[in-house]
Amino acid sequence: MNIYQPQLALVTDVVDETPDTRTLRLEFQDEAVRESFAFKAGQFGEYSVFGAGESTFCIASPPTREGYIECSFKAVGKVTTALREVNVGDTVGFRGPYGNSFPVDDWKGKDVVFVAGGIGLAPVRCVIWNVLDRRDEFGDVTIVYGARSVADLVYKRELEDWGSRADVKMVTTVDPGGETKDWTGEVGYVTPVVEATAPQAQNAVAVLCGPPIVVKLTLPVLEKLGFADDTIFTTLENRMKCGLGKCGRCNIGPVYVCKDGPVFTAAQMKALPAEF
Amino acid sequence: MTDATDTGAVAPQRHFISEADLRALAADLLGAGTDVIAPVSVDACQSPSALATAACLRPGVAPVEAEYKAIGDAAELDLGRAQPVLSLKQFFLPEHEALCRWHQRGLEVTVEEVPTSFAPRVVLAAKPCDSAALAVVDEVMNWDYEDELWNGRREASTIFNLACPVIDESCFCTAVGSAPDDVKGADGLLTPVEGGYLAEATTDKGRALIAAHAARFSPVDEPATAALVRQADDERAAARRRVAANLEIDAESVRDWIATHFEDPLLASLAIRCNGCGACSSVCPTCHCFDIVDEEEGVGRGTRRRCWDTCQAPTFTLHASGHNPRDDQHVRYRQRINHKFSIYPLKFGEVLCTGCGRCTRVCHAGQDLVEILGAIDIAARRPGEPVAAGTAGPEPGDAEAAS
Repeated sequence: MNIYQPQLALVTDVVDETPDTRTLRLEFQDEAVRESFAFKAGQFGEYSVFGAGESTFCIASPPTREGYIECSFKAVGKVTTALREVNVGDTVGFRGPYGNSFPVDDWKGKDVVFVAGGIGLAPVRCVIWNVLDRRDEFGDVTIVYGARSVADLVYKRELEDWGSRADVKMVTTVDPGGETKDWTGEVGYVTPVVEATAPQAQNAVAVLCGPPIVVKLTLPVLEKLGFADDTIFTTLENRMKCGLGKCGRCNIGPVYVCKDGPVFTAAQMKALPAEF
Repeated sequence: MTDATDTGAVAPQRHFISEADLRALAADLLGAGTDVIAPVSVDACQSPSALATAACLRPGVAPVEAEYKAIGDAAELDLGRAQPVLSLKQFFLPEHEALCRWHQRGLEVTVEEVPTSFAPRVVLAAKPCDSAALAVVDEVMNWDYEDELWNGRREASTIFNLACPVIDESCFCTAVGSAPDDVKGADGLLTPVEGGYLAEATTDKGRALIAAHAARFSPVDEPATAALVRQADDERAAARRRVAANLEIDAESVRDWIATHFEDPLLASLAIRCNGCGACSSVCPTCHCFDIVDEEEGVGRGTRRRCWDTCQAPTFTLHASGHNPRDDQHVRYRQRINHKFSIYPLKFGEVLCTGCGRCTRVCHAGQDLVEILGAIDIAARRPGEPVAAGTAGPEPGDAEAAS
């Protein structure tokens, strides 16, 4: 079997997160693969609908939940539109896991601050659950999540779940105008909300993921709060095809995002040409 | 570079093969069922080369160009030493190739593997810049995950280069660590001499080919045939001098300058004539970027393929969100230069270019890599000196306005 050949996976659950964002739960058809498959938080894969092609997403479920993987995607292109059409019982393709991961083990004993915008919560969700499934090993956990509107918030049930936990500080915000009458969260862009939440930076790490503008604007705020460049982690979502460091598409300066990333510290990102 | 063979310090045994015996060797191989890939002459008007179009419209002109082809008959072999329009890359990374096939019946999907081992084949009279490119691309195909499709074709192939007389002023192999008589990526070299060729095998595969067809070759023992050997050596040395006169750069200085001058206006100005057609990537022996697409073949079955792609296309890096990290042509051209002469050498220790000159010859806009590398070399080693005429043009924005 060559490196480009996908494993077959059965769709076992479909959740509509927003009107245009969907989560699929996948279980590998081959029992040996199902048993042996392992990944780390932050890794990604190539998901495919046969006939439509492959698309790159992170694995949105945590490695601490075995037996399945999940992906969340917005139906915007050919493959994601086809993925939007699949139902429970359908078969899709998967290649992976690829890329590096968040160094969760290095964070033991530290506070962890998660900042995500929009569907950027998908890769962060994997790390959040990974940390919460090993809650005792970490200090304070803070989650700041924002979306354009209440309707655009993904993983709504989990947001409630995290918000109701005593051992998580959860702040949810929607852009001005995106709130509903009964909205009880914050109203405002992610960046000022992070500044107002002001998680303390000493002995802490931050995980940041969202649209390029959210990352660009939030980095200086985290720095102002005292987070050093090597304590801020993000995941770059460059366009990819092979995921194996061959096809050249995700190359930025000295890195192939698919192999040297997708997880980078702010320090590593600053050393890259501004091509992401 | 030309000394980099697996024979160590021992000079490879040279053999003589006559023109007739070389054709007979090709015939022997074909007769035994072995594929033979070699340059052949083609009617340029029937080839995909866009360059021939204008010439084809002239009455009474039948332009001829060379292409590598799996030959069916030894008579097709053309050792005129013209450079094939497309490089040898197409036989190792085909323009498109199957990665797997799928069949779907109801909810049941099966995926069929494609073979990763290939029947042995022989490439005769390859251009040294083309075989060297294979060795360069070997690096990215194996730096972690091993690309079995690439490797399978590499292993199945025995390649004999033909020492190159140097094609024209666009050649610059010696500037990027290769040479017109390079055996890098190949298994042996043929050098034209009076009445035939001097053949030397530089790998076990090359030696095995000569051993298996020993009747076609006669060992050359100095000093009896010293004149023959001297003729070959002289021609090779002269070719090296000719190509070196086209361009001399310090590839390491160029590499380091690009790595530290990402935003330098020189890089933008060097891209001024490029309009992003991507022809350079198609003809390039080292460009290996590819796309992966599904091709449906009727209902419920199809083939997943990879096909050549180019970093010069705006869609190459376009995100699903509409965001494009390389949203302007000069930025995409910079990536091409950066990847070839800085990123790849820093990551894999090899320049992603063998100086074949095809990109310059095929460019309808006049982008000239000899000129461009010369300009970067001046910036890197003799800052302050004016770059060659025609390279430093107006600012990139002006190109948009003009086109």
